[in-house]
Amino acid sequence: MASGKAPSEAGAGNIDTARPPASAARKWAFGVGALVVVTVLDFTLERLVPDSSIRQLLLLAACNVLVALSLNVINGMAGQFSIGHAGFLGLGGYTSAIVSAHLHEALGGGEPTFARSFVVVPVALLASALIAGAFGYIVGLPSLRLKGDYLAIVTLGFAEIVRLLIATAQLGEKQTVGAAFAEVGGAKGVVGPFFHALSVAITSLGGQNGYAGPKNQGVPLYAGPFWVFGLALVLGILAYRLKFSGWGRALRALREDEIAAAAVGVDPTRYKVRSFVIAAVGAGIAGGLMAMNRDGTPTVQPDNYNFAASFDAITMVILGGSGSVTGAAIGGVFITFTIKAIEAVQSTNVVQSLKRSAAWLDLNALRMILYAGVLIALMIWRPEGLLGERELFQKKRTPPGPRPPSGGTPAAASPAPVEDG
Amino acid sequence: MADLVLEHVTKNFGGLRAVGDVSFTVRSGSIFGLIGPNGAGKTTVFNLVTGVYKHDSGSIHFGGRDVRPLAPAKIAEAGIARTFQNIRLFAQLTVLENLLVACELQKRAHLAAALLRTKVHYEDERTMHARAMELLSVFDLADVADEPSTSLPYGNQRRLEIARAMMLKPKLLLLDEPAAGMNYGEAEGLKTQIRWLRDTFELTVVLVEHNMQVVMGVCEEIHVLDHGETIAHGTPEAVQNDPKVLAAYLGGDEPDDDAPPAIAKEADRAG
Repeated sequence: MASGKAPSEAGAGNIDTARPPASAARKWAFGVGALVVVTVLDFTLERLVPDSSIRQLLLLAACNVLVALSLNVINGMAGQFSIGHAGFLGLGGYTSAIVSAHLHEALGGGEPTFARSFVVVPVALLASALIAGAFGYIVGLPSLRLKGDYLAIVTLGFAEIVRLLIATAQLGEKQTVGAAFAEVGGAKGVVGPFFHALSVAITSLGGQNGYAGPKNQGVPLYAGPFWVFGLALVLGILAYRLKFSGWGRALRALREDEIAAAAVGVDPTRYKVRSFVIAAVGAGIAGGLMAMNRDGTPTVQPDNYNFAASFDAITMVILGGSGSVTGAAIGGVFITFTIKAIEAVQSTNVVQSLKRSAAWLDLNALRMILYAGVLIALMIWRPEGLLGERELFQKKRTPPGPRPPSGGTPAAASPAPVEDG
Repeated sequence: MADLVLEHVTKNFGGLRAVGDVSFTVRSGSIFGLIGPNGAGKTTVFNLVTGVYKHDSGSIHFGGRDVRPLAPAKIAEAGIARTFQNIRLFAQLTVLENLLVACELQKRAHLAAALLRTKVHYEDERTMHARAMELLSVFDLADVADEPSTSLPYGNQRRLEIARAMMLKPKLLLLDEPAAGMNYGEAEGLKTQIRWLRDTFELTVVLVEHNMQVVMGVCEEIHVLDHGETIAHGTPEAVQNDPKVLAAYLGGDEPDDDAPPAIAKEADRAG
């Protein structure tokens, strides 16, 4: 009994216990098929969708799917409320922009080609993932050791620090935070020069106007449909596997009851910090893809990573259903199109003439009003989100089969317990 | 040997002394009862042993190892499993998943293996799954393996907690009022199950329990606490005739010798 070697087919639940023999071939077919599709899309999307603003929207939607998927790991699965996802998006965006711009220069400049993207994009995204992940660890370790809302406060502060540090760096070296540190630290030693170098580096990011490469020629936009759709698919599958692994179970258990989870060997701090780092890495990749988005703008600006961006990410997760991978993906797409639709409403003639006749009416607030309305309606009618914690394509739960062989002893030794009721 | 040794353990919550200078040794392989009136500090002792709280003074050793510096998850790893007085199941998880959470420590496959769905991952899942189903059938819960854990009736939830604790392959099992809410027949079943667990898994069991039918019927040694302090220690027979114990349970300093004490009466019925 204790050996547990007897294989059992009973009660499969929604856990992958066996690799079905036929599935390997199907997985390969799916993989190759997906690869072909995204490659073809990379070359034909311009012709299929001539309107560049719609192309941008499609790519942005896929990026936002990644944003929602990554935030879902910490907010949905682990149940820790992070409200500073934009900070990691920003780190990822700036890192990818810097790396890809320099790499592009080193490779000789010119038009970003598909072949060259296989050098630039992986390197840039890897750098983004590492930087975002490292900051995720730094932010997560102290704040996740504590229970309660500390993570929310710390992540909010972190995102704003990232944004403001970059945005205000244009005032000149003398007035940056780094320069102030350098003065405090004195010219001597290691601390002073380090902060000085840091302040110069931050200032070179262009401040409020944004970063557009080392010579201001624009960030090379290497991330076409191949990378954006392809990575959204791959990372989506990884997120799904994460949820339906022992790891995902441990995170969900942690969310339900931290004390009980610790009592069965799930170290709360360790699992929370790691899932936070995973979320940060995902956000870094998403931010990097957004910065290099082929139909996007060739600059990264600090205002892309303000609190509204963090809030959008939270909305995607909650709208789709906290903890649901497919729900997060749906939320990402839905919010992208909702924001676009609201922008379209704002640019209609009626709204524009209204704006002209009543200048005091702040129509930029319209988006927030509509947005809030959608959220309030959702919270009233479907507080658990569109999918709750379920998945769109979740395997049907197999009914528990015959009981496994009990090895003789248990049934004989334990008396038939009296059922309740 | 994996004895649990408490020496002069004291825990204060502010001005309240929850546990004061408590010492006892649970010998490996025994079934040990920790009893006392409400608020005696029994559950606090469990929380100190499992690292939920840290004691102020004294020492707790398990198998010669000091548990104080260890986090709860590390203590679970060291082989101490527990159940909770107020049932703590993972509500959103199924019965089976509740058990599977408890075997993260025994896995060979780690996160990367799970993400890449390697062979090791599938083997691990299969092994754990088989073990969980076996334990569920021992506790007569196999039929409800895929039900949400909180949909079970109360008694089954208690048994599920024990099954989950057993997934850890513990050396020491701490049961916090396992018979609470159980009727006479269920409590009888629980007694047999506790003995069976001990014999089959070479386990040490410590029991906090108010149900004297269970305590007196199954424990080999009993430690009695009142207001955080030890008032008696010994065999069930010795403890239930101890005047201090009778006073603590029934009130008054001089127990009336003519009236048969309730504890003894219940134990007789059980025995």
